[in-house]
Amino acid sequence: MFRTSTLAIIISAFGAFGAVAQDATPTDMTAITETAKEIVVDQATQTVADAVTNSTEAAPDPVVTSTPAFTLQDALASGERARSADPVQEKCITIMNGFPNSGHEGRYQFFKLTRTLADDVDPMMRSAIDFYGDSNVTYQTPVVEVIENIANPVYRQAAPEITVGNMGYLIDFALDCNDYLTGQIESLEAFDQNLTQADFDVVIGEDALFMKQILSDSLFRLGAQDHDVYGPYVEAYADNLVRARNDVEFTSFEAQLANLESVYMNDLDGRLARSNDVINNEMDREALANALEITNDLNDQSKLQTRQKAMRTLSRILNGGW
Amino acid sequence: MTSRLFKVLLLGTTLLATACASTASGSKQSAFVKSSKKSSVSKQKLEADVPEGGILAVVRYPAVVEEGARDKFREAYINSPIGGTIKSQLKDKTQVHNVIDSTIVKSNYFALSLYKELVARLPEHSVLLSPHEVKLGPDGKLTSVPITQAETLPSVVAIDFATYSFPDPDKMMGKNPLTFGDLISPIVTVKTDHRAAVPTHGVLLSSQPLTEAAVGNGYQTVQADLAELQSGRFKSTVPELDFISLLSNDPTKSTATQSLSTSTEKNGVQVSPLEKIRMDGKTILALDKTKNQGEIDPLQPVFSEAFANRVIDIINDNADDKAAMAKRASAIASYDPSLAALTFVGSDSPEYQARFNYVSRMLDAERKYLSVQSLRLFDGVHNGEMGAQVRDMLKAEYGILQKRRDLARKQNQATALAIIGAAATAATMGGGSPLALGGAGSDGGANDPCGHVRRRPFSSPTQQRTALRQCYASYERRLQDSCRGAVRDGRFRTVQECVNQNHYRNQRGAGRLGTPGIGGGNIFLTGAIYAATQIFAYKDQSAAVGDNYLSSIVPALEQQTAIQVSLIDSNETITAIRFDDLKDKLKTIYLEKQRSLDVVASNCAFNGDGSSSGTWMGVCDGGTANGSGVGVIKKADGTAVEYFGYATNGIPNGAGYMIIHEPSGSYSLEGNFSAGKAEGVMRVSKAGEVDQMRNYSGGQDVGGASSKSVINSPFVGSSSGA
Repeated sequence: MFRTSTLAIIISAFGAFGAVAQDATPTDMTAITETAKEIVVDQATQTVADAVTNSTEAAPDPVVTSTPAFTLQDALASGERARSADPVQEKCITIMNGFPNSGHEGRYQFFKLTRTLADDVDPMMRSAIDFYGDSNVTYQTPVVEVIENIANPVYRQAAPEITVGNMGYLIDFALDCNDYLTGQIESLEAFDQNLTQADFDVVIGEDALFMKQILSDSLFRLGAQDHDVYGPYVEAYADNLVRARNDVEFTSFEAQLANLESVYMNDLDGRLARSNDVINNEMDREALANALEITNDLNDQSKLQTRQKAMRTLSRILNGGW
Repeated sequence: MTSRLFKVLLLGTTLLATACASTASGSKQSAFVKSSKKSSVSKQKLEADVPEGGILAVVRYPAVVEEGARDKFREAYINSPIGGTIKSQLKDKTQVHNVIDSTIVKSNYFALSLYKELVARLPEHSVLLSPHEVKLGPDGKLTSVPITQAETLPSVVAIDFATYSFPDPDKMMGKNPLTFGDLISPIVTVKTDHRAAVPTHGVLLSSQPLTEAAVGNGYQTVQADLAELQSGRFKSTVPELDFISLLSNDPTKSTATQSLSTSTEKNGVQVSPLEKIRMDGKTILALDKTKNQGEIDPLQPVFSEAFANRVIDIINDNADDKAAMAKRASAIASYDPSLAALTFVGSDSPEYQARFNYVSRMLDAERKYLSVQSLRLFDGVHNGEMGAQVRDMLKAEYGILQKRRDLARKQNQATALAIIGAAATAATMGGGSPLALGGAGSDGGANDPCGHVRRRPFSSPTQQRTALRQCYASYERRLQDSCRGAVRDGRFRTVQECVNQNHYRNQRGAGRLGTPGIGGGNIFLTGAIYAATQIFAYKDQSAAVGDNYLSSIVPALEQQTAIQVSLIDSNETITAIRFDDLKDKLKTIYLEKQRSLDVVASNCAFNGDGSSSGTWMGVCDGGTANGSGVGVIKKADGTAVEYFGYATNGIPNGAGYMIIHEPSGSYSLEGNFSAGKAEGVMRVSKAGEVDQMRNYSGGQDVGGASSKSVINSPFVGSSSGA
């Protein structure tokens, strides 16, 4: 099964990846470039197409250079307020309705990607994203559009707070609606076991890593690393991306190797089974039966001979010939 | 006549006394069954025991004898018999050769019983088969080499398995070891890498006859490994089978031993007795009765199951980094030489961890691939026509043995009858017949009835003369009485005729029983002699049954051997081609994915305690050891030092594990080193002793330390007490 990176399709519509794409690992780039060849450009909106025209050589300077006065308590309180504004169930159902409905595979891909985005986001990091993010995303905004905003190189370079805001929206959704997302993911996996294949996981993992990298870079452009409270968390998040990249690469290697292993093991198994059959069929089972028959004949003869010998001996003794 | 009969009686009694036949018995179960309990090690624990990129056990056995080595193998087998001595004139006898050749077929078959038991208990893909080919080495000596690649992977233990039969077929029914029919004499050793069992050169358990050969073989492997390391290579030596070491009279070595039942943790080889185990006859007879014949395993309840449990306990006790690290480094070197030496003690660096994970995963792929080979080898030999034929052969052999046991029982019954008859004859004739006075005379006459009196010690010649006079008078009187009775019965016409014919002076040779006898002992005597002739008849028949089988079985045995060779050769050829291909592909993927290492391993100087020069494989700086790795110093006098851990300026410094090989034996120190010398609390492993915690200062033992002391081990998770 050939699976296409969701993000690659969206990003490729922009024609250039900007600064974040340059930060991507060679593996990411190869995957993205290859999958980009498969894109359906029509999926990109006219807004995106317009953005492409203006985005190619944007300057990477951060927009926010100073850290606003802010405390840990403020950070936690603001996060709580933001998250408790709406009933969770209604929020989750509404947003999930906005996920692409182009088939179970596509929905699975988006659900899993969204859930993966929330990995490594602790409450402080979540507050930092809330604090630095600024977007006009509503529950009715389609998820594809949110991801387009994140991938948009213009926003990433000129208005990283929009990028952060869009990522924050997805992360909030993933954390608040984790049970719903997990339920959907598990249902789809039960429906189609092929979705759990390692190579598909790799595609989703690489997309998630790419978006996390965008978030981290955008936060750095906003100077979040220098914030008294959030700084260490933003730094830790960036550091974790190295490990996460190693993990994704290893998962990719593992998937590649597992395929190779499976092919070779099955091939070997089949060949050896056939070879065993051929050789075993050469066995002449009569050889042993014949040997045993000869043994029995010889035993009968021996029995006769030993009896005769015994009688002769006895006779000699009794007749004084001994 | 009486003296003739007496001669027969004496001769018969003598023969009877030596005519008891053995019924080829064996113990009902192995010593492992008696001394073992079901292993309590969980599968989860065993999963954790599987070394990174390695396996838990490899079962090695003699599978094939190379054509050119066959005569040498047979000769060595005859010259180094286990459990008895053998006559040299037997060496060209076909039956002897067949006994020897059949041990190879049986080793092939029964090794699979052990493999099956281990596979059932250990994690998936963690047990491999390693059939060996017995061949001539470059020096013309007998040796064995693995046919498959199974031993290229690191393994916690290696198990040598072989079945043994004493080569003299005439002693098949005796007490000598035998693998025939329902009898089996398994000989085994269990070994690990010598770094994990330093004092015994890696030998953990051994059948008694193999112990010194196994330790000697272990010592040779240590020497070969050290030579490779000294030359800057990680090539890990695969030792020949211990059984072949024994046959080829390789140098032996002794070490501390302990019995199977001993539960101490002292450093010594557990020794199991040489056994002859009797499998259940009904199971043997049922071998071809079920639809899936291979399901019945007569060896399982009496040996394999208990032995597998013992092996699992051994694995659990020995599964640490030391058991697999050298062979793992050797396997890794084929993918990434700059990483190999770093894997001995590992590193926390993300680059190292990433590379190590990749390369471990590739070794995992290798072991899975090779485990398919082992499973199919099992399938081909055990479940195919080959296995069916071996089972048929076992059944036939059992029939032969049963026939011989039956004959032996009859022989023993005849023996008993003959003895009873002889005793009754003696009792009857000794009380009322002149025959009772018969015996060798002093004048050489064989029938002088008073010869025995003449030979008896007397205090004076007069006393002896008196006794002789009385004896001859008594003899004459009883002879006259008997002859009068015989005349009355009509057996003689006159008393004188009877006396003349029966007097000892007129006797030549044995009594002629065809003529009318004298006294009531004749019936018993006749019975005894008949029984005696039957004893020899049964004995001859039993030997003929054994000989007939061993002579007739040649074509079947040759065919089995040929099919066995074909199965293994074909299996390995198919596997090897694809295995090389797989490794190439793995290497390609690895090279695509790997990142550069900040610290790489290379070769440089290692100076030990500062006074010697050796080789270091690991992190180097300025041409000397500086960082982690392995160092070795092999001196001309045969002594050597191996060191695994950290070094500075070519000298052990920091956490380390040092193995010292001396003529008196090998021992190890694990803990902190400073300027090349042991410093602080060290874990000390010596032969015959439990591992101890000792305090060291400047390389000198300055006294005991608490067993709960924490040592500075270079191995992750190995810093606990003794």
